[in-house]
Amino acid sequence: MRLELQEVSIRHGAIAAVLGVSLTVESGTVAAILGANGAGKSTIMRGIAGLVPLHAGRILIDGRAIENLPTEQRIRDGIALSPEGRRLFPEMSVHDNLVCGAYLRRDQTGVRADLDKVYALFPRLAERRNSLGRNLSGGEQQMAAIGRAVMARPRLLLLDEPSLGLAPAVIHVMANAIRRIAATGVTVLLVEQNSHLALSLSKTGHVLESGRLVRSAPAAELLADADLKRAYLGDDPLALESLAASPPPV
Amino acid sequence: MFQQFLVVAGLSSATYMLIALGFTLIFGIMRVVNFAHGEFLLIGAYAVFVAQHQFGLDYLVALPLAALVAGGIGVVAERALFRRFTGDETGGMIVGLALAIAIKGAVTILFGVDSQPIARPFSGSIEVAGAFIPRDQLFAAGVALVMVALIWWLLNHSRLGLAMRAVAQAPEVARLQGITPWKTYPVAFGIGCALAGLAGALVAPIYGAEPNMGEAALMKAFIIVVLGGLGSIPGALVASCLLATIDSGISILFNATIAALVSFAAVILVLLVRPAGLLGRS
Ligand SMILES: Nc1ncnc2c1ncn2[C@@H]1O[C@H](COP(=O)(O)OP(=O)(O)O)[C@@H](O)[C@H]1O
Ligand SMILES: [Mg+2]
Repeated sequence: MRLELQEVSIRHGAIAAVLGVSLTVESGTVAAILGANGAGKSTIMRGIAGLVPLHAGRILIDGRAIENLPTEQRIRDGIALSPEGRRLFPEMSVHDNLVCGAYLRRDQTGVRADLDKVYALFPRLAERRNSLGRNLSGGEQQMAAIGRAVMARPRLLLLDEPSLGLAPAVIHVMANAIRRIAATGVTVLLVEQNSHLALSLSKTGHVLESGRLVRSAPAAELLADADLKRAYLGDDPLALESLAASPPPV
Repeated sequence: MFQQFLVVAGLSSATYMLIALGFTLIFGIMRVVNFAHGEFLLIGAYAVFVAQHQFGLDYLVALPLAALVAGGIGVVAERALFRRFTGDETGGMIVGLALAIAIKGAVTILFGVDSQPIARPFSGSIEVAGAFIPRDQLFAAGVALVMVALIWWLLNHSRLGLAMRAVAQAPEVARLQGITPWKTYPVAFGIGCALAGLAGALVAPIYGAEPNMGEAALMKAFIIVVLGGLGSIPGALVASCLLATIDSGISILFNATIAALVSFAAVILVLLVRPAGLLGRS
């Protein structure tokens, strides 16, 4: 599924969280939105899913405008979001959380097959299938949230900070899982503060700063760009501080 | 004597469960404290009265009809009144209170303040191990238990139940799965009210139908969900048995007034020791 944002602006009350963002994710590719905390990445994801209304602009999937559709309809149309902060159903088992992801699907045999695929993708989830959402570790919750999104069999998968707060070993598992999900042909839009990880998974990267898109380029180019690396991609807090003091050349 | 106490406690447990289940279901899913819950019980009881006296229907036919009437009025009430107060617990309580007064007033105008007799579906009692179990009460308790089991199955093993649990736990995340809370709320509210209506229809042949029965029922539901933990279904079931035991034990030993006092003392005690209720989570 091809995703296109045209001059999208989103406000939280008086705060302009996203300002005139235009970007395209080609069908079957992986794209990343990078940016510091508070740049507006999650707001864009929530805008695409319909959880926040647009102030201006359009959202097109395969050329069709969806910005006025309610969230449920967008899910029906093939969009799935694994939201920031995992957001599992806390009093439901892992199994029920995953089944919830397939709520709109009527092909019970397909759902069972996909359950097996998710458990194969994240073997840890298979071991924890009867545990309640709230009893899972951070990494397990993230796996379940992504698995739940995959259970919808989406054509556009939105992943908001899938690596946030995970131990390095778990990040590795997560990255491999995302690669395997992307290999099935689903379009993936990834939001990350861990830019190195995101770019290594993506074809294209988009850099967001205070709600504005300041750069869109092939991921390889962004990875190689030393200035960008220091300014946006560094895990070095000093780099971010100097960024705030003097805007880098764009 | 002790056997008789067990019988009374067991029979009332089942009815208490039915009343409290609907109340806690509505709160758990919608965060609405339905102050009109007792009045849906009233609607169920009077629906049986009308079905018997106006339409000459058999009690066993009137029983499911009464639940349906209460459930239907519940759906309408959710769409017309409670929906506007989603996320506003205080507003929801005030609307519930207003609805309770309106329903009770309407029933009083239509039927008067006197208790209306309901023809009993069964008479006599059976004797088990030296205790007498009235057949009509046994029937009421049996139907109540079957309904509780059905609701448990619905919540845990059906698609509708999955949607209700999802909406209860995280409405926004539920929408991300394609579940529409606006469609789930009236169904949940209707089911909760139908359970109250059924409870009313079940106790009506035993106690008659009278305009004040709603308040007593709401009080029981309230004590039970506070004891068990607001919104917790297992908590409500356990607390129903606890309250029924306290009520019947002390009523047999002393009288009903002291039983009510003791049950409130138990509520205060539980709130002091476990503020979220026995099985609740704060
Ligand atoms: N619900 C909200 N209400 C008000 N402001 C918000 C809300 N959500 C986000 N914001 C603000 O919008 C901006 C972008 O936030 P967000 O999209 O969460 O950024 P990111 O995901 O890049 O960290 C921030 O300034 C944030 O404080
Ligand atoms: Mg974010």
